[in-house]
Amino acid sequence: MTAIVRTLDEILIAPAHPGRGATQEYFLNMGPQHPIAHGSLRVILLLDGETIRKVIPVPGYVHRGIEKMCEHLNYRQIIHLTDRMDYLSALMNNWAVARTVEKAAGIEINDRIESIRTIMAELQRIQSHALWWGVLGMDLGAFTAFLYSFRDREIIGEIFEETIGARLTMNYIQPGGVMYDITPDFTAKVKKVLAYMKRMVEEYDTLLSGNVILQERLRGVGILSEKRAVSLGCTGPVLRAAGLAYDLRKVEPYGAYEKAQFDVVVGTTGDCWDRYYVRIEEMRQSIRIIEQLIDDIPAGPTMVTKFNTKIKLPVGRYYNHVETARGVLGVFIYSDGGDKPYRLHFRSPSFNNMWAITKIAPGWRIADMIAIQSSLDLVIPDIDR
Amino acid sequence: MGLVTDRLPGLLEPMPGGSILITSVDAIINWSRANSLWPLAFGTKCCAIEMLMATGAPHQDMARFGAEVARQTPRQADLMVIAGAIVKKMAPRMRLLYEQMAQPRYVIATGSCAISGGPFMYNSYTIVRGADEIVPVDVYVPGCPPRPEAFFWGLLALQKLIKSGESIRHPGIRKKPVLAAMPQGITADEIKQQLRTLLEKENTIDIENEANNRSWAQKVDQWTQKI
Repeated sequence: MTAIVRTLDEILIAPAHPGRGATQEYFLNMGPQHPIAHGSLRVILLLDGETIRKVIPVPGYVHRGIEKMCEHLNYRQIIHLTDRMDYLSALMNNWAVARTVEKAAGIEINDRIESIRTIMAELQRIQSHALWWGVLGMDLGAFTAFLYSFRDREIIGEIFEETIGARLTMNYIQPGGVMYDITPDFTAKVKKVLAYMKRMVEEYDTLLSGNVILQERLRGVGILSEKRAVSLGCTGPVLRAAGLAYDLRKVEPYGAYEKAQFDVVVGTTGDCWDRYYVRIEEMRQSIRIIEQLIDDIPAGPTMVTKFNTKIKLPVGRYYNHVETARGVLGVFIYSDGGDKPYRLHFRSPSFNNMWAITKIAPGWRIADMIAIQSSLDLVIPDIDR
Repeated sequence: MGLVTDRLPGLLEPMPGGSILITSVDAIINWSRANSLWPLAFGTKCCAIEMLMATGAPHQDMARFGAEVARQTPRQADLMVIAGAIVKKMAPRMRLLYEQMAQPRYVIATGSCAISGGPFMYNSYTIVRGADEIVPVDVYVPGCPPRPEAFFWGLLALQKLIKSGESIRHPGIRKKPVLAAMPQGITADEIKQQLRTLLEKENTIDIENEANNRSWAQKVDQWTQKI
């Protein structure tokens, strides 16, 4: 046997023919069990070295068939399944179905119900964004952020526990009203929490936003242009970070949003940093909305229909939507005149936002994939349903 | 102050120049296993927020029970917390994760989805009705989702199970699974109080005083006289 020893020049200088030394593309499987997935989303990456060439998301690992199940349940029973779609904004999911059914059945809602719904939804938006902030920090290696955000999540959660009786799956907003009235000291407690959260949002900002590592990892990474965001159907903070001021609370106001003054937060470039800062700023706007509404909650009943009456929708197709913490949640109901929907479809925000990674991740390194996917704030059960 | 820990399984024997601990190897192995569970960060649904994230957070600190080291890879974990619904597409992956975990391995099924399918039990064409169809479950924690305190209740049940579990002569012995449901009508404050006493008061041993305890010395004297 003979062994030919190559000289240093042979090793270092690029080979003459293209086959040798050329890089090879390969597939990497990310998920379904992966800490970044926050659930079980599988993403197949086509890599060239460390550079991402192509992203193929494979959803369906938590698909429970909620839409099909809804066909067997009446309109009040559907509400409890919507909690389990996007569990971080469960109240807003409830609201989307309740609003569609109310509009279709012609149920008039009084101002008290609208006010309570709006306050609760905004409290949950703060909670959801705070949790996202902590989890983004954890994904990028800053564990402290997680500890701070979960401390404050519990403080808002105490209000939910006292009024609603649940911490996560609320089942609170029903067609025709809300399940329970607010407690007598609700106003005082919410004010206390708001005063606390106001300081805490500033603390979040000073704790993490100015961090050099975070800025380096988020600024200019994963740019999603306004045109592309619209063509992909992205909504919520992802679309607003791209520069389009589309917020259903402002565009077609529902609930008590018309009474409140607030700004639609808009980014400039559509990179991960804009998506980060839009959410920080939205927490401040949500606090502003609640502060305006909390003082004068109108009097009246909290349920305008009888509790156990069957709601029947006239034959037809109905669509309505609300702005959840992640974007536009649309509910489409095809009714055949009965008390159950013939077909029910959810247009969930996370599903459309997920496809943004296929367009913005290619070209970036695999470490940037973590920042990109985390900044989109995907909730996997909302994608799969 | 003594050690804020579980009661050490064994006797403290006073000796000139210090004291030694007498115990059986089984007892001390099971004791250390029960108090250093490393959970796998495996969450599929809403329960993951409550079971794996909120319990690790400062408000309910899982580190008090020695189970806070959540690992992302199954090879470093020995406790699988099934938090959420398991669907047919996920089931083979979950089985694979379970088989990759180091032995001895334990499974806690939290939430009604993991126990029976929960709210998706009827009319769903994808759900696996109970995680125990795929992996052997040790402790069931009911709730939708369970409170973090309820999860701790289940964790303590698992610790008891491990301590009375396998021995060197009978390896791989498994106790029957238990349902760690909290008593009805119990309030969150009562649970917190119970957990606090369990952690701080009853299970504190003061090594210096225990060694100098006269009753212990008498016992040891009797024991030596018998020999």
